[in-house]
Amino acid sequence: MNRREFFKFSWGAVGIAALCSAVGISLAAVVRFLMPSVFYEPPQTFKIGEPGDFPFGPPTFLVDEKIFVFRDRDKGFAAASAVCTHLGCTVAHFSSDQKFHCPCHGSVFAADGSVQHGPAPRALDWFEVTQARDGQLRVDKDKVVPPTYRLMV
Amino acid sequence: MNLIREIWQSIVRRDPLSTDKGKSELVFLNVWLHIHPAKVKKENLKFRHTFYLGFITFFLFLILLTTGIALMVYYRPYPPQAYQDMKDLQYVVFMGPFLRNMHRWAAHGMVICVFLHMCRVFYTSSYKKPRQFNWVIGVLLLLLTLGLSFTGYLLPWDQLAYWAITVGTNIGSYAPLVGGQVRELLLGGHSVGEAALLRFYVLHVAVLPSLMILLTIVHFWRVRKDGGLSRPIWKLNSKKIETLVTIGAPAEVAPLQVAAASKDKTYGLMEVVTGKPIFETVTPEEEEDTVFSYPYAFVREAVVLMATVTTIMAMSLFLNAPLEELANPAKTPNPAKAPWYFLGLQELVSHSALLGGVVAPALMVLALLAIPYLDRNTSRNLADRKLILWLFTIFVVANLALIVVGTFFRGPGWALVPPWVHVVAGAE
Ligand code: HEM
Ligand code: FES
Repeated sequence: MNRREFFKFSWGAVGIAALCSAVGISLAAVVRFLMPSVFYEPPQTFKIGEPGDFPFGPPTFLVDEKIFVFRDRDKGFAAASAVCTHLGCTVAHFSSDQKFHCPCHGSVFAADGSVQHGPAPRALDWFEVTQARDGQLRVDKDKVVPPTYRLMV
Repeated sequence: MNLIREIWQSIVRRDPLSTDKGKSELVFLNVWLHIHPAKVKKENLKFRHTFYLGFITFFLFLILLTTGIALMVYYRPYPPQAYQDMKDLQYVVFMGPFLRNMHRWAAHGMVICVFLHMCRVFYTSSYKKPRQFNWVIGVLLLLLTLGLSFTGYLLPWDQLAYWAITVGTNIGSYAPLVGGQVRELLLGGHSVGEAALLRFYVLHVAVLPSLMILLTIVHFWRVRKDGGLSRPIWKLNSKKIETLVTIGAPAEVAPLQVAAASKDKTYGLMEVVTGKPIFETVTPEEEEDTVFSYPYAFVREAVVLMATVTTIMAMSLFLNAPLEELANPAKTPNPAKAPWYFLGLQELVSHSALLGGVVAPALMVLALLAIPYLDRNTSRNLADRKLILWLFTIFVVANLALIVVGTFFRGPGWALVPPWVHVVAGAE
């Protein structure tokens, strides 16, 4: 390789490197642009009301939050996710068999949320329930707890 | 009179159509028509070779563009106005239902026809050298068609839309490593909501149609540059197949020479291009088989166009596109079903989200893309292609069977229910 060829080659390499980095950076910028910086979505932690608002027996379904709130006379409060772990349909709680049934692909979850039937890959989530200072119950969807978790009030 | 004549001449600038020169000039002096050759092989125009499925698909796409733009005038892409606007289109806007129906039925028709077109191309071996790459473009067009259907599906913001997209985008999140992020990117959030509707709208009315138009242009250009349509199978045995030459590619029959025009040719544009400009160029024996594109090809295309538009219009007069109740994130309809052409996918997904929703479709697409390169058999004779014919037919039948099961045999809770048994849905 003589001088001339060396320069030709170097400039070519610089050019290609510049092009690749320009394309790479632009692509990264586009992906980052498409990723919202702020989500205008309901918060993951929210108050659901006074303990007395919830009856014993069949769970209360909270529509916007997509959770079931259970209240048991001896054991206390618990909150289960109503979002099917398969593909995100909203499961229904049947009082007839105490199980959760998903209408989309037929997954069935036992009373403790574990998968009994169908394509769902894992159990329904249970969320932490705490009592806020004002006495209201608070659910934190970022804190997944074992199905045995209960809050006694 | 002379002025009118002059104006007309300034527009068309060709000889009268009664002359051969005029017929040729009509084609290559016109930017829209010159994708056609001036002359085509008569046999290639036969309905039973292509069933004009590519054209029908294209014409359906034109219907979708025009009716889609009309619908945009009354549609606002944010909930819950989106749903309100659909109601308005159905009950208030003049001709609203008709336009919406046309858009809907043309969309269904396009999915059907693009699939049938692919089958036609496959069974007639039209993907073989030199058309391999146009098959690949075709597969991309098929995916774009499905993508347009999928994004359009969310726009009415009814229950059907909401849950089909919830399920559909969750399938994507099973993709290894990037799945979750891709879904977030697509939805602009963690669940189907305002941001998702806007993004799907942008994809549906801007991004995907633009890509579709670009790729369609490439597709047509390649049909032409690959030598026009492949010869019908029934013409294969009658004549020996010519050696093929690719423009710009190293030819097996080097060196390229200027092709001598036959004596009675009245046009000679091709002579400026060296070598055989087109594959399977007309040999002297075949010369008598060729006809001018005007009127033979154009009339057939116009008839297909009119038949397509008429059929869609007639359907739109009598069949109404469904609109369910307003999207309700809290209540999943039972059973919740995707649009029919995705029910095969949903059926697979009901067995395993990762295998059925990600792995199987990805393999199917890869297999489709690879067909022209993996199939080393150069023969176009059906008798020589037994294995691949079986494989492709199994692929088609399996897809159809899955769709039929998903559509007719799945009841509440996705339980197997034969269509003749009536189940009351939503019973708890
Ligand atoms: C939006 C979708 C599509 C449109 C509008 C379209 C349009 C067309 C048209 C108008 C033709 C001319 C002949 C005919 O009518 O059959 C054609 C030919 C062809 N198409 Fe498509 N097509 C589409 C999708 C596809 C797909 C999905 C494939 C395959 C996977 C494909 C592969 C081909 C090939 C290889 C040819 C050349 C056939 C031959 O030479 O006989 N196209 N297409
Ligand atoms: S979403 Fe629940 S089973 Fe598929």
